[in-house]
Amino acid sequence: MNESVSPPGIDTPSPTLSARLRELAGYLAAPAAGRLTEEQRALSLGIARRLVIDVAARLDPGIDPGSLWEDWLRGGLPCATRLAGICFARAEEHRWREQSALRTSPPPILSEPDLSNGEAPAVGAPLSDVDRAYLALQIADRRRFDALGNPALALADVDREIFRALLLDIAAWRLSELSGDKRRAAGLGEAVRIATERQAAETGMTEAGQAYCEILGTALPDAAATAIARHNWPTLIALAASAHRRTYDDMAMALLTAESATLPSLLSPLRLDHAAIAPLEASLAMLPARAVADAGHMEFSASGATPR
Amino acid sequence: MSERIIRGRVDRAGALISADTPLLRLQQRAGSGLEKPLALPHLARLVALAQRLHRDISRPLYAADDHSDIHALVRIVPDADGASLEISDWRTRPVTLPQVPAIADGAAVPQSWTWECDPQLRLVALRAGSDAPAIPDGWEGRSLSELFELQPDEDGRFPVLRGLARQSRFESQRVHAAGMAMNLSGEAQFDATGRFTGFRGLAAVAEGEAIVEPKAAGTLVDPAFGSLPLSDPQFGRRIDGALRGPLSRIIATAETISGQFDGPIRADYARYAGDIAHAGRHLLGLVDDLADLQNIERPGFKAARDEIDLGDLARRAVGLLGMKAEEKGIRIDAPRTDDRAPATGEFRRVLQVLLNLLGNAIRYSPESSQIWIRVDREDDRAMVTVADQGQGIDADQQAVVFEKFERLGRTDSGGSGLGLYIARRLARAMDGDLTVDSAPGQGARFTLSLPARDVA
Repeated sequence: MNESVSPPGIDTPSPTLSARLRELAGYLAAPAAGRLTEEQRALSLGIARRLVIDVAARLDPGIDPGSLWEDWLRGGLPCATRLAGICFARAEEHRWREQSALRTSPPPILSEPDLSNGEAPAVGAPLSDVDRAYLALQIADRRRFDALGNPALALADVDREIFRALLLDIAAWRLSELSGDKRRAAGLGEAVRIATERQAAETGMTEAGQAYCEILGTALPDAAATAIARHNWPTLIALAASAHRRTYDDMAMALLTAESATLPSLLSPLRLDHAAIAPLEASLAMLPARAVADAGHMEFSASGATPR
Repeated sequence: MSERIIRGRVDRAGALISADTPLLRLQQRAGSGLEKPLALPHLARLVALAQRLHRDISRPLYAADDHSDIHALVRIVPDADGASLEISDWRTRPVTLPQVPAIADGAAVPQSWTWECDPQLRLVALRAGSDAPAIPDGWEGRSLSELFELQPDEDGRFPVLRGLARQSRFESQRVHAAGMAMNLSGEAQFDATGRFTGFRGLAAVAEGEAIVEPKAAGTLVDPAFGSLPLSDPQFGRRIDGALRGPLSRIIATAETISGQFDGPIRADYARYAGDIAHAGRHLLGLVDDLADLQNIERPGFKAARDEIDLGDLARRAVGLLGMKAEEKGIRIDAPRTDDRAPATGEFRRVLQVLLNLLGNAIRYSPESSQIWIRVDREDDRAMVTVADQGQGIDADQQAVVFEKFERLGRTDSGGSGLGLYIARRLARAMDGDLTVDSAPGQGARFTLSLPARDVA
């Protein structure tokens, strides 16, 4: 039983009776409700771990990330409620993208003569403004992976309040570690301030999406339709977020958990016709164990997170 | 799912004689091809059935390649010459669901970088593994070939360019980046419409490669370039990358016009286009020289120690430039095939030096003159000498002929003034030297000497 709920690769301590009973009580309270799949659990936990490590490194390079994470794994993440929404949204987006990548038709085999008559990529061609904005969006998107291609959250994309709360939680942990070193402990407050200011100045997917959307102008519907046809979900989310003036994470969560019937209204600012939306609807419908939005999720969203 | 109809045609003998790309690709993956027997057993059986029944049939089709199961619906229309195939509702499903880390089959190691680029080879991601060297700043959006200085393989090819042309994976692309020799490998990426979207792969430090810390940009003040930003290697590489593409296009277009390949034009216009192509080639040569200059002046630059024969290399150089000499009626007296001078040096660099020396000799020799190339050995030095019947170089000029941008007062478009400087730097990087012996009116003798190699 232990194996069935433990995310792979994590050596958890023996379960306590109280934890088991809490889990069972939760199950009995809603036995028919769907639970997180192992994949959703593992992805979200991995994203949270990479976020904590990245924030810790920015706060104080002297922090041992392994030790911090071990402590938090045992005692629970102090910022669990805040992290749940952003980690889940990123994990679901990743599952969605992986599903599309796996279902993609195999690419054609080309030989050089085929290419010479066709669309050879123009390497070294000058960039148009639209291309440049799209390139920036791609770069911002790829910052949301670690070196091995695992999904992560770029610090620039994290809601400022969540980022600051996470910094303070890590600083509190560090403070207990540095009890004998008053000078370094005193520097933590300043480090939090510097990290907060630096993060505030960074731009991520939301800003890159806005820039791309603005430069597209009247070509926005075509670009959005192309993104859907190509299953280029990050671009679609970024364009929709910009059109709605929402953040990327917020829009990702809204789109990923939308009922099929609400998709046309959700994407109405992109001025897409029904035929263009069909592949999106089909793709979302195929995503296994997809959660559907309800009113109760707001407490986990960035704007609704309970202040500590 | 796709509404697109994929068509194919099978002849009476059961060979696939035409096919849309997905079907052809499947046939190729099964080890067959066009004009060859249909290698998809289920489809072959259905074709045989339709031909036997002499009527159309529509059936589900199941096929598989090395990473996907394919489900589709096929309609087979037999006729006297074979059968036509119409495949719809083509769906692929992976045989195994890969785990989340998707970089290069999980081959990423903590010592490597992972990278990703778009179809134009512009970098959109570059990340360092936990134990990898730091990634250079300012990589975002730069060309792959700008950041990674591509090196040809043993056959003189560039695996990444071959991968780009075929939109397929590549590996063992040797590169130099941030003062290190690295190996680049990449997987081609495609979107849902089958459109090539770029590469994703690894850059691993080559085995046995010592990491050379690049010198800080501010310390690279070059007397020739002064405070120009060209003394910054990053800037130099950008300029190199930015110029090479447009120049190549200018040259190619000008040559097309000058050669009147697209139809006849006025003779003077064709000549102008020829002039443009010539000037373009000159500029491209200058870019090549500057790129070389940047490379050899890089801290830690080292030439390989190949076992070479100066006689063989001299004959290769003559083979490459013989036509150019013939155009001026110049005869080249090359080393005989049994003239050997075993030495140690980097094969392609020595050839580069010899091409420079021979090219200069041809350029500055009078028409219908003669050039001699001799190989020799003196103690532990193997030598090759290129002698011409040009106007010669006086003692003062000999003192400066190896200086950067020195053209001895010439103002024609013949060269950049960097060739001999680079050639001597290369010779010295190979523990050799390049010297000149000349007198006005008596031609010039340039001698490249390298460590001799004893052959048993």
